[in-house]
Amino acid sequence: MIDSPLNPSLNRRRFLKVMGTGSGGLMLAFHLPGCSQIPPGQQENSLRPNAWLEFTSQGACVLTLDRVEMGQGTMTGMATLLGEELDYDPSRIEVVFAPVGKAYVQPDFGLQITGGSTSISSNWVRLREAGASGRAVFVKAAAEVWQVDQSQVRTANGVCFLQGSDKQVSYADLVALAATLSAPSSPELKSADQFRYIGKHNARLDGRSKSFGLADYGIDQEPDDLLYAVLIRAPRLGSTLKGFDAEAAQRMAGVERIFACDAGIAVVAQSYWQARKAAEQVKADWQTNELSALSTEQVFAQYATGLDEESGDSVRDDGDLDEVLATAEQLVEAEYRLPYLAHATMEPQNCTVWIREDRCDVWAPTQGPDIARYVARRASGLSESDIHIHTTFIGGGFGRRLSQDYVNEAVLIAKEFDRPVKLIWSREEDTRYDLYRPASLHRLKAGLDRFGKPLGWHHRIAAPVVLDHYAKDASGAMAPGWTPPAIVNFSSNFASWITPDTSAIEGAEDLPYDFSAIAVDHVKVDPGVPISYWRAVGHSFNGFVVESFMDELAEKAGEDALSFRLKRLQNFPRHQNVLKLAAERAGWGYSLPEGHFHGLAVHKSFGTVVAEIAEVSVEQGRIRVHKVTCAVDCGQVVNPDIVVAQMESGIIFGLTAALYGEITLKEGAVEQSNFHDYPMLRMNESPDIEVIVVESQESPTGVGEPGLPPIAPAVANALYRATGQRLRSLPLRLA
Amino acid sequence: MVTFTLNGIVHSLDVPDDTPLLWVIRDELKLKGTKFGCGMGLCGACTVHLNGQAIRSCITPVATINGQRLMTIEGLGTPEQPHPLQKAWVQHSVPQCGYCQSGQLMSASALLAANPHPTEAQIREAMSGNVCRCGTYPRILKAIQTVTNAMTGEEETL
Ligand code: FES
Ligand code: FES
Repeated sequence: MIDSPLNPSLNRRRFLKVMGTGSGGLMLAFHLPGCSQIPPGQQENSLRPNAWLEFTSQGACVLTLDRVEMGQGTMTGMATLLGEELDYDPSRIEVVFAPVGKAYVQPDFGLQITGGSTSISSNWVRLREAGASGRAVFVKAAAEVWQVDQSQVRTANGVCFLQGSDKQVSYADLVALAATLSAPSSPELKSADQFRYIGKHNARLDGRSKSFGLADYGIDQEPDDLLYAVLIRAPRLGSTLKGFDAEAAQRMAGVERIFACDAGIAVVAQSYWQARKAAEQVKADWQTNELSALSTEQVFAQYATGLDEESGDSVRDDGDLDEVLATAEQLVEAEYRLPYLAHATMEPQNCTVWIREDRCDVWAPTQGPDIARYVARRASGLSESDIHIHTTFIGGGFGRRLSQDYVNEAVLIAKEFDRPVKLIWSREEDTRYDLYRPASLHRLKAGLDRFGKPLGWHHRIAAPVVLDHYAKDASGAMAPGWTPPAIVNFSSNFASWITPDTSAIEGAEDLPYDFSAIAVDHVKVDPGVPISYWRAVGHSFNGFVVESFMDELAEKAGEDALSFRLKRLQNFPRHQNVLKLAAERAGWGYSLPEGHFHGLAVHKSFGTVVAEIAEVSVEQGRIRVHKVTCAVDCGQVVNPDIVVAQMESGIIFGLTAALYGEITLKEGAVEQSNFHDYPMLRMNESPDIEVIVVESQESPTGVGEPGLPPIAPAVANALYRATGQRLRSLPLRLA
Repeated sequence: MVTFTLNGIVHSLDVPDDTPLLWVIRDELKLKGTKFGCGMGLCGACTVHLNGQAIRSCITPVATINGQRLMTIEGLGTPEQPHPLQKAWVQHSVPQCGYCQSGQLMSASALLAANPHPTEAQIREAMSGNVCRCGTYPRILKAIQTVTNAMTGEEETL
């Protein structure tokens, strides 16, 4: 059995053991194959100055990564921060995924989750301090060896040097001594001009294992004696199981057991294929409820009614909108509509669980190990300290794996066996039973004076709130470990007052443009469709609405889309800067090849400002995006090439949504199922992408999501120029 | 009983005839580099070589490969002895989540084996069966071009 999903070189040399300690916390200990195991709490001669850094007695530098690696490059980013202050080449740092632990809780959310493009920003100080305190201990140790003052010790790439002599000693050789010394709690950090790796280091730490098929994902976990499970799920929303007939299926080769559980009908067999085939032979009867008839049209009708009848929460109210609009020469009004979207991670949801008497091991590709632990505790009935979450490499997250539904299901199934069980979702289940990016409906109104100067802006949003769906599990993970699940459910608002949810309004309430009056209202309407966080969340729809409507206003004002924006961004120099950079590089305003048109958009999300310019043509009614020019300001850059990669990634992900993405419901069932009817952008449609990264010494902000919001409006704005059609809903469909 | 050669090793297995090759590779032979993405031949995550050609193992019943020669990502190269494409992949930091990349590499290597000097359009076309949700296409293109350019360079100096 492989415990560790980590880099293969590490696997080969040692095994990672995750062991429970008396306090209910977890700690890591290493042992060499063939050697006797070092008891927990006594890692002889290893140096562990804080929760993230360890130097083993063999001299290996190990980073305990408390964020998950799902492609966004956090492994490399965190190693760069640590290595910078430690004075240690990041590419020599070995990385292990963190267990659940108090030290690893994300300060922004109070949870051990990876989301909101926060890994770099919230670890900017924390991990550099971890590195600096490690370095300080080695300096102390070297000074002691040489019997000199610490000020005479210099460090570089894992070696201490004695100033003014040729004496040197590696960190590895100092580990035993350093382990006996104490680390300073708030060590001094470098200034930006001293950086050796930050802003320069590019090689991905996980690039190699992932180019040789060696990275270990959730779906690859294989404890001995493994059984495979598939689930038969309610075909329509809100339906529950009445009964089922599994007689024929039960007799099929390899089938272990077929039984009903809270998640559906579990089919467990010796192999995945046997389970899948047997599932096809099970006949089930379902009881429906009022949700089971829901269609997409009804969802939008509910939204429209909400906007018609309710004023909603006023989330921004600057100036006197009515007064300002009363003086307008022309009023511009528009309605925008955005669909539900599935995450479609390449690795379908899966989870492997092994429940023994007092122990439950969970291997999962999860963005929230502590929520997974809570969910496993609730489903297994075991206590918190008995649950062991093993985080793996993740085949795409995008917010999907913040929800722990698949962990819950796998535990419910594995409870019935004393062997490990792996649950694997099919692509069809992954598409039909996702927790979706919410659909939304927007009404916009703005007034222009007779010179075309915009006066007032009114944006009304009908959408549900993601946290309402998320709080049940998240609050359990936030509550103390002894809190009974029943009480957690009772107080699931817990999460909402700790973490206010801006998912419906982000990117709308913070409109940067200068209008004399701005009002943004949110009418909360929840049709009951399961929803979750999805790459860039609210920014993914509000960015489209705001930046498309701004283009409409520019057009009505008879002004160029770029200068119209620049004039209204006087107080937002970073927005102006990225717009100008992208425009200059793309040749905004200059002629393009015949039939090609430019469109632009700028949007700030998660602290990062991104402008994008799309070059688009329409060929035989088909939309083609030829080139995207992107300028990004994310503060201090840690790994320049990863910033570029994340912009490329956000743009392509956003283009899939702009051109194809739509989940629809008919009679309570999702109509899409696999990549033929929920298509992804492919390489033959993928544009050339050029990224300009702004140099900055401001604190760094995230890059995993901010590349996405500007692309759909940039393309829609270009299409307007190409065809005269203003497309106000996604996906973009020409008449 | 089905017999085939995989990465140079002969295997004889007793599995139901209709089992997709993908699950035989992953769960019987325990080679986890080949991935499950869609099960319908739509995403390319499960791409392997059958007698040198790229095929989708998720829709290939194991019985149909009796007596044939297969290669998976584990046979393409190792960190010690990488395929030129794997070197280029690392050099360009192609992988993000990495889940699609075994399939991408198997498609790319089959392409270059059949056509060592594809045009950009031919690369895009040949690779369009492989979905990458993380959007690594620009880098895949560059990495393949690095290899084809290097091969051109070699020929020129010969
Ligand atoms: S898993 Fe075979 S093509 Fe998608
Ligand atoms: S690298 Fe994530 S799907 Fe391709």
